[in-house]
Amino acid sequence: MSAAFAPKRLSPQQRQPATTQAMMLDMMVALTPALGMAVFFFGPRVLVLTAVSMASCVLFELLYRGLTRQSVTVGDLSACVTGLLLALSLPASTPYWVPVMGAAFAIIVVKQFYGGLGRNFMNPALAGRMLAGTMPILMTTWPQPMQKLSLTAVDAVSAPTPLSYLHEGALPPQTLDIMFLGQRGGCMGEVSAFMLLLGLGYLVLRRVISLRVPAGYLGTVAVLSLLSLPEGVSPLVWIAYQLMGGGLLMGAVFFATDPATSPVTPRGQVMFGIGCGLLTMLLRDNSPYPEGVGWAILTMNCMVWLLDRLGLPRRFGVGSFASTRAALAQVRANLAKIQFVPPKVTLRLPERGKVPGEAHLDQLRSLFKTYGPLAGVFLVTCACIFMVDRYTDLDTARAEVLAQQELLAQAMPQAAVGAEMPYHVPGALSIVTGYDEEGQVLGYCVQVQSQGFGGPITMLVGVDLNGAVTGVAIVSHNETDRVGTEALTPQALNRYVGRSGTIRHSGSNSVDAVSGATATSKAITAGVNRALNIVANLNTDEEDMYEDIH
Amino acid sequence: MTHSFFGGVYPAVHKEITRRKPMARLHQTPKEIIIPLIMCADGPSTPVVGPGDPVTVGQPIARRGQTGAAAHATVSGRVSAIEDRPHPWGGVSPAIVIENDDRNELYSGRMIPLDPRQIPLDQLLERVETAGVVGMGGGAFPTWDKLSRSAGRVDTLIVNAAECEPYVTADYRLLLERGEHILRGSQVLARCLGCSRVVLVTEGDKLSAVEAVERRLRRRGGGRVQIMAIRTRYPLGAEKQIIQTVTGREVPPGGSPVDARCAVFNIATVYAMQDALLQGRPLTHRAVTVTGGAVTRPRNLWVPIGTPLRCLLEACGGLREEADRILLGGPMMGIALQSLDAPVTKDINSLVCLTGWEHKPNVPAGVCIRCGKCVAACPMHLAPTFIRRALEDQDLKKLSRFHLEDCNSCGCCSFICPAQIPLVETVAQARGLLRREGVGQ
Repeated sequence: MSAAFAPKRLSPQQRQPATTQAMMLDMMVALTPALGMAVFFFGPRVLVLTAVSMASCVLFELLYRGLTRQSVTVGDLSACVTGLLLALSLPASTPYWVPVMGAAFAIIVVKQFYGGLGRNFMNPALAGRMLAGTMPILMTTWPQPMQKLSLTAVDAVSAPTPLSYLHEGALPPQTLDIMFLGQRGGCMGEVSAFMLLLGLGYLVLRRVISLRVPAGYLGTVAVLSLLSLPEGVSPLVWIAYQLMGGGLLMGAVFFATDPATSPVTPRGQVMFGIGCGLLTMLLRDNSPYPEGVGWAILTMNCMVWLLDRLGLPRRFGVGSFASTRAALAQVRANLAKIQFVPPKVTLRLPERGKVPGEAHLDQLRSLFKTYGPLAGVFLVTCACIFMVDRYTDLDTARAEVLAQQELLAQAMPQAAVGAEMPYHVPGALSIVTGYDEEGQVLGYCVQVQSQGFGGPITMLVGVDLNGAVTGVAIVSHNETDRVGTEALTPQALNRYVGRSGTIRHSGSNSVDAVSGATATSKAITAGVNRALNIVANLNTDEEDMYEDIH
Repeated sequence: MTHSFFGGVYPAVHKEITRRKPMARLHQTPKEIIIPLIMCADGPSTPVVGPGDPVTVGQPIARRGQTGAAAHATVSGRVSAIEDRPHPWGGVSPAIVIENDDRNELYSGRMIPLDPRQIPLDQLLERVETAGVVGMGGGAFPTWDKLSRSAGRVDTLIVNAAECEPYVTADYRLLLERGEHILRGSQVLARCLGCSRVVLVTEGDKLSAVEAVERRLRRRGGGRVQIMAIRTRYPLGAEKQIIQTVTGREVPPGGSPVDARCAVFNIATVYAMQDALLQGRPLTHRAVTVTGGAVTRPRNLWVPIGTPLRCLLEACGGLREEADRILLGGPMMGIALQSLDAPVTKDINSLVCLTGWEHKPNVPAGVCIRCGKCVAACPMHLAPTFIRRALEDQDLKKLSRFHLEDCNSCGCCSFICPAQIPLVETVAQARGLLRREGVGQ
């Protein structure tokens, strides 16, 4: 008998009732209001999409676990939650194969390849959704609410989401109460802020999630949105629009709080929320896309290991100051351990007067094996660069580009950018579309050829959208100096600017031939007429006009 | 009143089963009383009687030798044997067995009651040691040792009536029925230890007791005594957490409450000390709650120490259905009882008989989903899920950084885990591994 005779304590005989399964069920319950609102706004298609998504998630999980002979884990309902989240983050007009593809990626690649529930480092549903989001046609049409979509055909009328207005720095036409209730375009689950907040309240009351992540996330977004506050808008209104716009609420409540991919430690969770908020605002304000919630959360998911370390609770009984100092000392000690160790490359040279032995050759061989590939790659890269430099005549290429730009500037002075179009029209050598700085189409420059006095004259004729000539530029000609070139001077060519219809040599709508260069003048007029004709008949809307040049 | 401890959990309390039942004496004192020689966490005591000796109530039968605490006969009768008997902590230990003669004769050489106004410290220590008082909240540490270590070095005396374990109501009934004695006892202790502040801590679900004590305090003028009712949260009753809640100070790692200038005594211990000092009675009885869904008539009992637990159950009408687990102490940190023949010792405050549907389901542990609830619940600022991960990897270097020695096995992490992972055991295993490998510390 000694002091070691101590009572053997048990682990608690009582348990809180919530199991993993119950937590997942609670997640689904919390998503139900948003689902209901989506059905109300977009019709029964939402239900079918959700069913497809959930069923495919469960099936893929069954399939993978079955094929790899692992225990069946469908019973924990996590696959159902993934499916539901995936469906609700898609627009209602999505074709049915998209959630199936997203589910395959989410369940097999993101979740099961990393070891299943709790071991994945990215949120499966969000990863699946972002994969679907890389298809621009699918994910940029937002069906309007109250437009009942048919179950089979996708005939959605695309409506701009409130967020695209916010992205431009303007208030959306929807009022705040519509934003709150959800009568607006967007993904199925994200439209109704009210229903999402209901879900948040339920989850917090049931202690499934804590408020640390959502509060940190939404708070950061609210504060940072003040930075982009437009003139004459009340800050509170602007914050409300920013918080309710896009997928922010859905992301903050359901995606960022996913237990497996958010930090474990309470302080880490707060930092995670703040990080998500920072990235979201960065993407919203400084990216071509209006929304950044998905990428922000996925990025922060990859930072979880770091936040877990930073957020470890301080030791009980050690003050914050002391523990911070200890942590800093630890960091300093770790940094002090880093030092540069020069690689030891010692070539054992044969002694004077002796033949190099077997060991020397072995060493040379191993050195070659180690550094040989590196040197080889280095040499090949250098050779490639040298050859490219040698055999590419960069000056000529540059001159060509410059000449092209100059021609464009002559033919269409207003255009900033020209882009060749894959139109093939008889009579035209090529058609270049002219755009202004904002990307609006200004007109078309048609390259045509006509027979002049001394040979073919190639010219670029700019025609704006009203069918008027904006300029004529001569690409090449064979006219004799002093005979034909009189008609090629800028003054002579500028007479065509503003003309439309068919240009004659006399009478109304005529350009007089330059004396002494009549044939050349007629050739140019003929070319301009042909170009005007081509542009007038150019039908860019019809598909059969498309014909790949190559 | 803005301090609180971090984490904690909210188990279902189940105290309504016995909270309205007054403490009752046993109708029939047991035929046989078993007083184990291991009464105290630091080792066995030395018996001073032999087989065949007659004893009376309150007569010393064991004293402190190198280790242990004094023990007294709790019934009158005859010592029948000193032999190995089952011990409630598990296993067997030598015990003095007294045959009861049902006459309850009192011991003639009783201690004299002391004047509460002038008790010198050495007399206090000597009296507490003679009366055999040990920590009655479950720790069973010798009280005189704690008193002598904290005398003059503490400014706050905390009387721990926060019975945070579910089911148990013994301390609550004691506070309600013997409030006057407890207040007087804590005042005497505060005077001897030189404390400027005495705080009686209870939980918010014991408001009738709080009211009763407050009425008393108003009538007689509380002086430095105050009562604090704190929202029920497990583990408020743990020593370090109660100090943090009352004073905001944290006991440094590896330290004792003295390092935070506090002394914490369980309410039953204070009552026993008061009995010894002001009434001259040694520690012979204590309050025990017999409860749980399997008990026919759950109640609070005032029983002689050494009563076999079987007698306690019989006094409550026995079991009405099969008990799945029988625990000493509450369901969070209780000891699994191995034999009903084991006696009541000084540190046992309850006998909880749980039916199958009351205690946790025996489901296998699931996979960790990294929800972080264990980290948010640990009142000692540990990260049980990381400890488990490091133990799985057998990563000793990492384990040694997680301050495993701070764990007080309160069980919050196991309680809260939605995947039913036995985290307390995991932490204990990790500690054992570290100790074997001799890393850390």
